[in-house]
Amino acid sequence: MNNSITINGKAQAVDVDPAMPLLWFLRDTLELTGTKYGCGMGLCGACTVHLDGQAVRACMTPLGAAFGKQVTTIEGLSADGSHPLQIAWVKNNVPQCGYCQSGQIMAAADLLARNPAPGIAEINAAMEGNICRCGTYTRIRKAIVEAAVQMKGAVT
Amino acid sequence: MSMLDSSQLALNRREFLKTSGLVLGGLAIGVSLPRGVLGKLESTAFEPNAFVYIDRNGATTIYCGRCEMGQGISTALPAAVADELEADWSRVTVLQGDANAKYGPQGTGGSRSINVMLEPMRKAGAAGREMLVAAAAQTWNLPVEDCYAKLHTVYNRIDDRQLAYGELVALASEMPVPEQPTLKTRDQFRYIGQPLPRHDQGEVVVGTRIYGADKKVPGIKYAAIRHVPVFDGSLKSVDKTAALAMPGVVDVVEIPRFEKPFGSVGGVAVVADNNWVAQQALAALKIEWEAGPNGSYDTTQYKQLLVANVESPAKIEFEKGSLDKAFKQATVRHAATYVGSHLSHSPMEPMASLVWVQEDRCEVWASTQDPEGIQKTLAEYLGRKPGDITVRVMMAGGAFGRKFMCDYVQEAAALSKAVGAPVSLTWSREEDTRTGYYHSCSAQHIEASIDGDGKVSGWLHRTAFPTIDSLFNPAVAQPTADDLEDISKHPYGIASMQVESGLAPAHTRIGWYRSVYAIFYGFAINVFTDELAHAAGVDTLEFIRGIYDNNQDPQQKEQVQRCRGVLDEAARMAGWGRKLPAGQGLGIAVHYSFESYVAMVVHAEVKGDDIIVHRVDCAVDCGLVLNPDIATAQMEGAVIMGMGLALETEINFKAGAVVNSNFHDYKVTRMSAAPAEINVRFIGQDFRSTGLGEPGVPTLAPALVNAIVAAGGPRYRSLPIKAA
Repeated sequence: MNNSITINGKAQAVDVDPAMPLLWFLRDTLELTGTKYGCGMGLCGACTVHLDGQAVRACMTPLGAAFGKQVTTIEGLSADGSHPLQIAWVKNNVPQCGYCQSGQIMAAADLLARNPAPGIAEINAAMEGNICRCGTYTRIRKAIVEAAVQMKGAVT
Repeated sequence: MSMLDSSQLALNRREFLKTSGLVLGGLAIGVSLPRGVLGKLESTAFEPNAFVYIDRNGATTIYCGRCEMGQGISTALPAAVADELEADWSRVTVLQGDANAKYGPQGTGGSRSINVMLEPMRKAGAAGREMLVAAAAQTWNLPVEDCYAKLHTVYNRIDDRQLAYGELVALASEMPVPEQPTLKTRDQFRYIGQPLPRHDQGEVVVGTRIYGADKKVPGIKYAAIRHVPVFDGSLKSVDKTAALAMPGVVDVVEIPRFEKPFGSVGGVAVVADNNWVAQQALAALKIEWEAGPNGSYDTTQYKQLLVANVESPAKIEFEKGSLDKAFKQATVRHAATYVGSHLSHSPMEPMASLVWVQEDRCEVWASTQDPEGIQKTLAEYLGRKPGDITVRVMMAGGAFGRKFMCDYVQEAAALSKAVGAPVSLTWSREEDTRTGYYHSCSAQHIEASIDGDGKVSGWLHRTAFPTIDSLFNPAVAQPTADDLEDISKHPYGIASMQVESGLAPAHTRIGWYRSVYAIFYGFAINVFTDELAHAAGVDTLEFIRGIYDNNQDPQQKEQVQRCRGVLDEAARMAGWGRKLPAGQGLGIAVHYSFESYVAMVVHAEVKGDDIIVHRVDCAVDCGLVLNPDIATAQMEGAVIMGMGLALETEINFKAGAVVNSNFHDYKVTRMSAAPAEINVRFIGQDFRSTGLGEPGVPTLAPALVNAIVAAGGPRYRSLPIKAA
């Protein structure tokens, strides 16, 4: 059994209880604190990361389920903050407190990977699991649409 | 007089307003004091006051003493300093100040940051600019009047010489600090009024912004806590055996209640090598609690009690005119009762801090709104001096009033002391939901009359809610005369008025929740006004205008004018009176709170059991707006938070304990409910700048309830509409 997880491109040996949620391994062991704790029950989306390219809640993902797989966190979404979503987030001044925004961006990145031109209803459905108490939802929608346009431009 | 001591006084909103003038005076002196540390620096840098620091290369640091929790204050205020300093914003780094009196009052609440700090911070920037200009003038042997600063450089009007700020730091440090520096006039503003981007967004989107929950130091341990579920209850027994046997557990620590307003309610915590182990061990504890005197608190019954207490005569705190006469001579009379629920702030970052208590020092890294409160509370707890508690103010992942209290920091201190290591304590969402400081639930009863001329002639307003004062003095069992001033001084023009306070003893901790009592005052007053307009057969907008226009009190003239201003602007923005499809309607509300004015028109649709908010138009008068984009974001956030408490957010108690636990049963606004459009306009910019963190919240719920009626739906008088 390979007790190793590739996190943001770097292999990490796991020497703790494989039942430990990925969230706490990221935050406490690796000190990658961009992924946030918000609820511990998969209800708020603050801990959203990508597991083999798919959005998952790190608080509900045991380390064992990630063995041999690729994990991408907000710190690894781009080398330098240049993902179109990150650019659109800054341009639209989306974050207020910012605590939920790592999860929002990772959820949005997953949406755009599956659906390069989502409509508002599709954005709402994809982002429904990510809570923002500061109330940045209308800006998040706008930033996702802008990033989608940018990314399409890049592909064609 | 209550049991408040001097430092708690500053934390009580009313008293805070009363004393802040004094505090401000102190700061004004602070700003103009000679530079303390400069001698030691031998003028290698220019540090004219607590807020400004320029090094020999011109790199500029501006400190923000107010706490950042997402409201953008650490951009808005430093930008105003940079403006007066004539600094190039691209060369400015903003740093959050630690707890320190040199920054003036740091307790960040009551939408006071701009009110209290804008002028002192502008002066700090202007003083720096004048000293740099004076240094250049001396270098060139020219009169100061011939020299001027522009974007990090001083020029003169005589020849083409110039000196960069970095070249001037040594000499500028020798210049006298001007007592009354000249502030810019509005036409000279460079950054004030501009939508400068937040200084910290780049860090947020790559996950490197460090919050209280994120802070690490060598040797760090992590803790998980469970609190006494019923306020004033106690720990009966705890079996620690299984928890202590788990690998990675450092200790299980009982934390007794610390009987201070911002102290721990008491509980049991596990300290471990990481959060996961701490949580697992906490779950393995076998705990029995004693419920204590609040063990029968039940919000369903309590709200019924509040309703009974406002539907019968209560303690009269304010009277004017003759209500009896007005009611007898009425052509229209109407009465209604409104009910509101407890709310939990539930910021996305639960209560979190890292504390390291050592023999000779105590260091705190906390998400907080009140660094001085931490110093005070920990000083009392540890038996040390407040100045010996170092408080590093971390970015708060939301706060909404909750992080003014520092019970969670005191708990981390207790744990650090117990295990002799730095301890990071992050509350679980369940503990955050169940053992907070709640927004008061409330009942209000209003009766009013309209006379033969169509004027509102009499207004009886009874209110009952557990008060924040009860936190400081448990003997306070009903709203105080001060609490009722927001009703008695409401700028409606009504000749006869009576305001009464109903009994409402507190059975839990009550705290400041974004907008505080204005949430239920704004709700009851605006919904009742709409009902009264319907009873009178008059369009609500016209009716509200009429009530304001009837106010002839010269002392309220400005308030009336500014309320009318935002009311008319919101109505204009929304196209008030326009025809909408069946099942849709517009509702309007206007409220003055925290010295700012907000009116909203909500466009809602009732579709079976669904209530859809399509659009919200907001008109705001908070005087001169420092940063229109940040101010707009504050209003957008207020709309979303207002929608939550209007539609589905509520905390309920049974058998003394909160029944909600996490976001599945404590429902907050999510993406799909957010309106398609939130439009925000600012008027009244000739007035002095006032705050905007809170004033946006109170108008959403009443405007929505009024819109539902306009859409053909029922009149909801109890919030949230979709109660559990």
